[in-house]
Amino acid sequence: MSNGKTGFLTSGQKRKIRNNMIGYAFILPNLIGYAIFVFIPVVFSFVLSVMSWDGSKRPMQFVGLANFADIFGDKIFRGTLLHTITYAVMTVVPTLILALLLAVLLNNKLKGVAIFRTAFYFPYIASIVAVGAVWNMLFQPDFGPINEFLKFIGIADPPRWVVDKDWAMVAISIVSVWKYMGYYMIVYLAALQGISGSLYEAASLDGANGWQKLWHITIPMLTPTTFFVMIMLTIQCFKVFDLVYVMTGGGPGNATKTLVNYIYEKAFTSWEFGPASAGAIVLFAIVLVITLIQFSGEKKWFKDL
Amino acid sequence: MKKKKLAAVLMAGIMTCGVLAACGDTSSQNKGGQSTSSQTAASDSAQASSAGGDNTSGSGTEVQELSVTTWDNDNSPQFQAIIDAYEVKNSNVKIKIIDTSADEYNNSLGISLSAAQPDPDVIWVKDMGSMLQMADKEQLLPIDDFIARDGLDLSIYKGAAEQLMYNDKAYALPYRNDWYVLYYNKDLFDAANVEYPSNDMTWEEYYELAAKMTSGEGSSKVYGTHNHTWQALVTNWAVQDGQNTVVEKDYSFMKSWYEEALALQDNGYIQDYSTLKTANIHYSSVFKNQQCAMMPMGTWFIATMMQSQAEGETNFNWGIATIPHSKDTEAGYTVGALTPVAISAYTDQADLAWDFIKFASSEEAAEILAQQGVFTGIPSDAALKTIASAEYFPEGDSNVEALNYVHYSFDRPLDPKIEEIRTVLDEVHEMIMIHSYSVDEGIQELTERVAEIKGW
Repeated sequence: MSNGKTGFLTSGQKRKIRNNMIGYAFILPNLIGYAIFVFIPVVFSFVLSVMSWDGSKRPMQFVGLANFADIFGDKIFRGTLLHTITYAVMTVVPTLILALLLAVLLNNKLKGVAIFRTAFYFPYIASIVAVGAVWNMLFQPDFGPINEFLKFIGIADPPRWVVDKDWAMVAISIVSVWKYMGYYMIVYLAALQGISGSLYEAASLDGANGWQKLWHITIPMLTPTTFFVMIMLTIQCFKVFDLVYVMTGGGPGNATKTLVNYIYEKAFTSWEFGPASAGAIVLFAIVLVITLIQFSGEKKWFKDL
Repeated sequence: MKKKKLAAVLMAGIMTCGVLAACGDTSSQNKGGQSTSSQTAASDSAQASSAGGDNTSGSGTEVQELSVTTWDNDNSPQFQAIIDAYEVKNSNVKIKIIDTSADEYNNSLGISLSAAQPDPDVIWVKDMGSMLQMADKEQLLPIDDFIARDGLDLSIYKGAAEQLMYNDKAYALPYRNDWYVLYYNKDLFDAANVEYPSNDMTWEEYYELAAKMTSGEGSSKVYGTHNHTWQALVTNWAVQDGQNTVVEKDYSFMKSWYEEALALQDNGYIQDYSTLKTANIHYSSVFKNQQCAMMPMGTWFIATMMQSQAEGETNFNWGIATIPHSKDTEAGYTVGALTPVAISAYTDQADLAWDFIKFASSEEAAEILAQQGVFTGIPSDAALKTIASAEYFPEGDSNVEALNYVHYSFDRPLDPKIEEIRTVLDEVHEMIMIHSYSVDEGIQELTERVAEIKGW
């Protein structure tokens, strides 16, 4: 009896292995792609972050944590951290508020609601290069439509937007909010559908008005969604590159240079892959921390539900 | 069920073989290929690849292939004319062009050289800074031995070849040569009844002329002159006298030049930097649309204008004058840069590559390029004559005289850190031109950040 079990697999075990093998075969193509284009480079960048390498055939040299000391000693790098955080705050908060408001408004059975939903979602699928180029024209300081409008309503000295070091990041944030709010509006809409109508009915019976219902039912019920949206948005903001690259190229000066712009420049202008990878590790650490917060939050919220 | 199983095994087998084949590890085929289906797949792919190999090598016994890297090859005849000429001369050589957009050129070349592959063989170097980066990384083949073997006479380059030496080694031959001249719109000068810019003009005279030539308002405004957004359009004049370069311990020598540039801008004699930047306006459209009376720009713009006139895109009279000079120097001091052509350190056809770059920088090639309005590393009266006699080159001797120079400074010195320093120059230039920094603040930041990069 025991002999049969150790020497040969039971038919059940055989089938299980076979099923597993079939499963692996199906995910293999994707897995290979993932390994080659994501996993190996990620591991490699960890290695690079403690090396000195210029991208040539010459061997890398181990330098320990010197790359990290190097970038944290760099005024420009500290600046990019600050710019990235500023951008994240200026983007996440308005996006959250606007996405929620839009979702609440468009959750009604209005005529043509589908058109509005589509209209607000549309920026999200538009190409970021086109979006950046068009907004740059709108923000044009001297004859751009936005400043013409501001002058029209009586603002004599409107901001010079992307060519003003104090306003450039605001301009980029405005475009980001416009682009992302439609997507998170959809997320909120889905969550709104999940709130039981009986809650609102009970509140109506107690004489609550629309504002009270929003404040005491909708917003508390949406907390897990809000949390999720906030985390996703924050991570997205820390990874920003394309919009900045298209709209300002990190300028004026380096007023809008973000973490990823810095990594890119270190790697492909200076060919210093060590400090560039160290910067990437810092970005990884930031995103990791945010994700861990999300995980612990998720446990909390979903236990409650 | 059985069919599904078979399909799965087949798929897995093909996948494994794909991986093995990609690694080129033939010995592990025995281990991996146990089912018959995977073995057939493996031998199929092996046959396919060997058949492919046979095809290329079969016809390749006669024809040699040389790969060269270019940028924006479709937009300019500067590479294709030479490639075609070389193929005509050497019928057994087929040239493979690896073309990239100009903006991405240095990045994509840097990455492909990191792979240390036998292709590309020949590299056209976009700027001297990137040549130094590649030389530092030992990605370029030193050509001293070839020069010595063939007894190549470098004196025809009038010192340009020596200027390309780095750490006492030659890595490249000069291909193109471009320097700054002053373009002007004859029709606008005629309409304003003002004399054309002369070939001996100080910067002060030029500023006055810019003021005089500015007219109109709004969208019909004609600016006296035009500064594109490059920092070179200010810093070049600061290094024109050869006393300083853009890599210095002290940048106070740039102060007056930035003040003059800001004065031009604030007086409305040139278009506002922020307008040009945000609207992404190309300098050629400003000159072609007759929105400026003058424009300092490199000699590469001659070919652009000739082409534009030939195609009927523009139809006005234009001219070329020597770039203005400072009070302390004579006329004919200019600033420019060379476009070198080099050989990859990983090439498998060093001799053929050498033959190609030798041709590309020869007097024969210079003549071909001159017909296209392109100047080469071989300055000669013959080339000048060829360019001047081209159909759409502006008429008048003064235009040809304007192409002579008595002193030539590089816009950027041969410094291995130049690309990094250039980023700083660009950023500070932008901050000064949009009035985010005062000139003094900008100069202080330049001094500090460059010192940090250089470890001073």
